[in-house]
Amino acid sequence: MSTGTTQHPGLNGQQKADRMSESSSFSGPVLRLIGAAFAYPGEGEVLHGVDFELAPGERVAIVGESGSGKSTLLHLAAGLEAADRGEVHLAGEALAGLDEAARTRLRRAKVGIVFQSFHLIPTLTVLENVMLPLELATDANAAERRERAGRQLTAVGLGDKGDRYPEALSGGEQQRVAIARALVHQPALILADEPTGNLDSRTGETIFGLLLEQVRATGCSLLLVTHSHELAGRLDRVLTMRDGVLQLSEATEGVPA
Amino acid sequence: MSGLVLRAWLRDWRRRPLQRVLTLIGVIIGVAVVLAVDLANQSAQRAFDRSMDEVAGAATHQVLGPASGFDEAFYRDLRMAGWRDAAPIVEGPARLPDGATIYVLGVDPLAEGPFRGAASDIGDAPVQRLVTEPGTILPPAGWFRASGEAHEARRVLEAAGGEHEVTLIDRAAERDEGPGEEAGDGAADDMGASLWVTDIATAQVLLDRLGRLDRIDLRLADNEVEALAAALPAELELVAVESRGQAARQLAQAFRINLTAMSLLALLIAAFLIYNTQTFAVLRRREVIASLRLVGVGRRAIFGVVLLEALLVGVIGTVLGALLGVALAQVLVAQVAQTVTDHFFAVAVTGVTPRPLALAAVFLLGVGLSLAAALAPAWEAARAASPAGTGRGGLERRARGWAAWLALAAIILLLAGVGMIVTGAGALVGGFVALFLLIAGFVLLLPWVLAWTLRGLAALVRGVTLPRIAVRSLERSLSRSAPATSALTLALAAAIGVAVMVGSFRGSVEQWLGQALTSDLYVVPAAPASARGGARLPEGWTAGLVAQSGAVSVSSGTTQEVVSDRGLVDLYVVRPHGDWLQYLPLLETAVPREALGARLAADDAVLVTEPFAAHHDVGLGDRLSLAAAGGRRAFEILGIYRDYGNPQGTVLMTQAAFARGGAPPDGVGSFGLRLPEGADAEQAVERLEAWLAEQQRAALVTRPGDIEQESMAIFDRTFAITHLLRVITLVVAFIAILGALIALQMERAREFATLRSLGLLPGGVRGLVVLQGGVLGVFAALAAIPLGLGMGWLLIEVINREAFGWGMDLRLPWVEVGETVLLGVGAALLASVIPAWRMARMRLVPALREVP
Ligand SMILES: Nc1ncnc2c1ncn2[C@@H]1O[C@H](COP(=O)(O)OP(=O)(O)OP(=O)(O)O)[C@@H](O)[C@H]1O
Ligand SMILES: [Mg+2]
Repeated sequence: MSTGTTQHPGLNGQQKADRMSESSSFSGPVLRLIGAAFAYPGEGEVLHGVDFELAPGERVAIVGESGSGKSTLLHLAAGLEAADRGEVHLAGEALAGLDEAARTRLRRAKVGIVFQSFHLIPTLTVLENVMLPLELATDANAAERRERAGRQLTAVGLGDKGDRYPEALSGGEQQRVAIARALVHQPALILADEPTGNLDSRTGETIFGLLLEQVRATGCSLLLVTHSHELAGRLDRVLTMRDGVLQLSEATEGVPA
Repeated sequence: MSGLVLRAWLRDWRRRPLQRVLTLIGVIIGVAVVLAVDLANQSAQRAFDRSMDEVAGAATHQVLGPASGFDEAFYRDLRMAGWRDAAPIVEGPARLPDGATIYVLGVDPLAEGPFRGAASDIGDAPVQRLVTEPGTILPPAGWFRASGEAHEARRVLEAAGGEHEVTLIDRAAERDEGPGEEAGDGAADDMGASLWVTDIATAQVLLDRLGRLDRIDLRLADNEVEALAAALPAELELVAVESRGQAARQLAQAFRINLTAMSLLALLIAAFLIYNTQTFAVLRRREVIASLRLVGVGRRAIFGVVLLEALLVGVIGTVLGALLGVALAQVLVAQVAQTVTDHFFAVAVTGVTPRPLALAAVFLLGVGLSLAAALAPAWEAARAASPAGTGRGGLERRARGWAAWLALAAIILLLAGVGMIVTGAGALVGGFVALFLLIAGFVLLLPWVLAWTLRGLAALVRGVTLPRIAVRSLERSLSRSAPATSALTLALAAAIGVAVMVGSFRGSVEQWLGQALTSDLYVVPAAPASARGGARLPEGWTAGLVAQSGAVSVSSGTTQEVVSDRGLVDLYVVRPHGDWLQYLPLLETAVPREALGARLAADDAVLVTEPFAAHHDVGLGDRLSLAAAGGRRAFEILGIYRDYGNPQGTVLMTQAAFARGGAPPDGVGSFGLRLPEGADAEQAVERLEAWLAEQQRAALVTRPGDIEQESMAIFDRTFAITHLLRVITLVVAFIAILGALIALQMERAREFATLRSLGLLPGGVRGLVVLQGGVLGVFAALAAIPLGLGMGWLLIEVINREAFGWGMDLRLPWVEVGETVLLGVGAALLASVIPAWRMARMRLVPALREVP
């Protein structure tokens, strides 16, 4: 896995070891779907057999029509829903063989999620929101958690707003917090579902840039759903969701924006 | 109103059946409890009234004599002298073989007509057989049906005159009617009809009153009263009927007030429950309101659907609740009847119908409060046209603002309450007003205290993210967590308050019994406990008792109802042991204690009990005009002592004082024997029993332990109903907190889903929810301790003292307080199990998709 070699400001030996033990035991694809199919209870099938692989450090965009199943795919990848048929492997582990608790443990160690509608915890301050994954997924002590979260907040440009509650932030700022929260525990994979969908295009542009920069800085993989072909074009690969399967986009470059 | 709007609103019943059903259950339970308590309360009142009316009938006045009755010849003289509207009565309690206590009324059927015809159905009853066949008796209407007997039955009755077999006659059958369709067999006959009517001659045998009467009922015009009073011999008194019932009515009043207090409490808790569930039912769907408003649905249409639903839930819940309440009332009514029987009369309350006022009250509670609780948030939500404006955030911010205002109001109420107590304004009613001011003040203060407690807790767990989430979300949902916590606090405080009151009372009674029972053995007439007051033993037994038991000292005591200038009072005439004053729990005396014994024996002087002093508003040095041997004399009150034996109060007089100027009372109510140091009590009992078996009168030997046990059993039965009510309020509070926790968690579903997606394990979610329940439970339990102790103190020092005249030593039942605290925390934890389980198993994706 290549992430260990990436530069990350202020990453000390201990934290490196931390990260290694969390994410380096496996060096195959971070995410792998084999013929994954899914239907919501009582509805027709949404995904008909998705085959897909995401290499370490790779950044992939998924586009497609509304209702085509993009979000559903991310949910399967995160282990929030279980595939009806086929296999989903996260960091080399087959999700089907895991119970709810084990899936949750795997998710919190390997995955960071950025939602379209931020999903910050309103009862926690911004800093506490960012500390949350550290508390859940690592055994860093309180001071360490505070320090790492603070650093991550500074990295997204909100170092001075850690004591505020989410309701006192703008949408763009809230999404920055969400990005910081998704990255703070150095997961192997970031799943982002239209992270700029709730923001105006200029703010969206900034946030997207920030996300890419942070992903690059930590060296993790990214699977991103977006409606913007222009933004999608800035990633390594663009796939289209159509008729319940993923297809390689006709033209990865030069798509009309 | 558009069908789609209606559908948009009501669809929730299919989507979240558990929550909507909880709303309905909230209304049902709330209504049921309030109605049941009111029914029990009202049945107690009816039982008293009816017993009183039945016994007194249409009489305006009664001629009364000594407790042992007076010569029946006087009745003949009275009629001869032209007083025709008069009916002789012999009455008293008796016991059926199955242990039930009944009240026997012996009448002269020929003279009865105008008196009790309506009340006890004697007017057209088969009087012929009562007169011609000795040993026949008419049970109350409906007794035959209830007991499953044919039209005639034989039973052995145990009463003051010993055991006698009597023939029970069915009134209905004698009138040649089918048993199922007795004339006048309406509610009136079912209720309280507890009199067993017989001919006076039979009653005289049963009740040991040969040749004697207990009273004569009269109907007098105002101008006749004085003439008759003047014509009466010295041992007889003419008493107006109202004054007779007064003391008992006063007591009934006190008993009712305690019940009313409980029912108001139940009402308060039920109101919390209904408010909470109904408000939640609307708030839960505020996005529906917002979206409907956005597409242009008018405010009125939204109100229409909310109103319709609240009305349906309110009406259905009220109807079901009323049915459940009537069923629950049967249990309570049985308890009430037992209490009344133990203390006052033998009553049989078999059924009650809710009175219109109570029905109106529960309707207002069930339907009115449902509407108010649903419409207020609907109005709030409909006012804002955008979904953003309807978020809970705004509401909760306002709730926190209210908390401060409520706290201010609370402090005013608390001050007013304390002021009332300090100044002692308003006596009994004032005591209750003060009690409710304090409770209301305390409850209104709770949200504010809760908010600050949670804030403090949140600061305490800074940096420990998960507990902080739990605590902060409680604080942010104050409009939800505060009412539920208040309900639980109230229920727990009531439990503690009652425990303090009953515990103190019980302790004081136990201690008093230990002091009052200063003999080693007692010899009492063989009669049911409630009839013992009227039964007598021969005075001349003293020598025989000493000879058989080897007693070193014999005391005797006789209670009788005598006429006084304060109406009829209970007079206890004693021939005490020499050292009796050492044991008597005297509260205050007019003369030094050493001199008291001599004064009581030599002068016209008495002692009175604490309740007597309170009810009749008399004190040391006051004089009572009492009918003692030889007629009325004035007696000075030399002391007041503590006594729980007679809630109406007792006057204590030595036999020496009583008999001066006439004969001692004929007969003794009980003998007390002091055995020599180290004597074998068993042996003494055996010898006494053998000796008693040879005597004409049936008597028993009892020990202080037996009397204590019997008294405490009655005591415990009296308060069984309060325990029952305590359980009921706790159940209601449990449902309230369950509803609140479910509501809280449902509102936070999206947050929980987020946490789960970030990696919180299902067990962690359970932990969070249970932690929230625990925090609320601990808070409620801790808050309940001061409130409960305060309520207990007030019940003892103000309310019971005013109502009963009983003083008692405050005892803090720490064990019960501890139990109640554990119960509260346990209830809250238990109530969090269901939401915890639901939250942990929640499907994440739909919850994540929810609109924030
Ligand atoms: N809870 C659900 N129950 C049933 N069907 C659902 C549910 N959630 C989504 N669907 C259906 O599954 C399909 C895929 O939904 P999904 O949210 O994955 O689409 P998407 O590609 O993310 O769309 P968008 O770009 O609009 O976000 C849709 O047709 C939708 O109707
Ligand atoms: Mg989507």
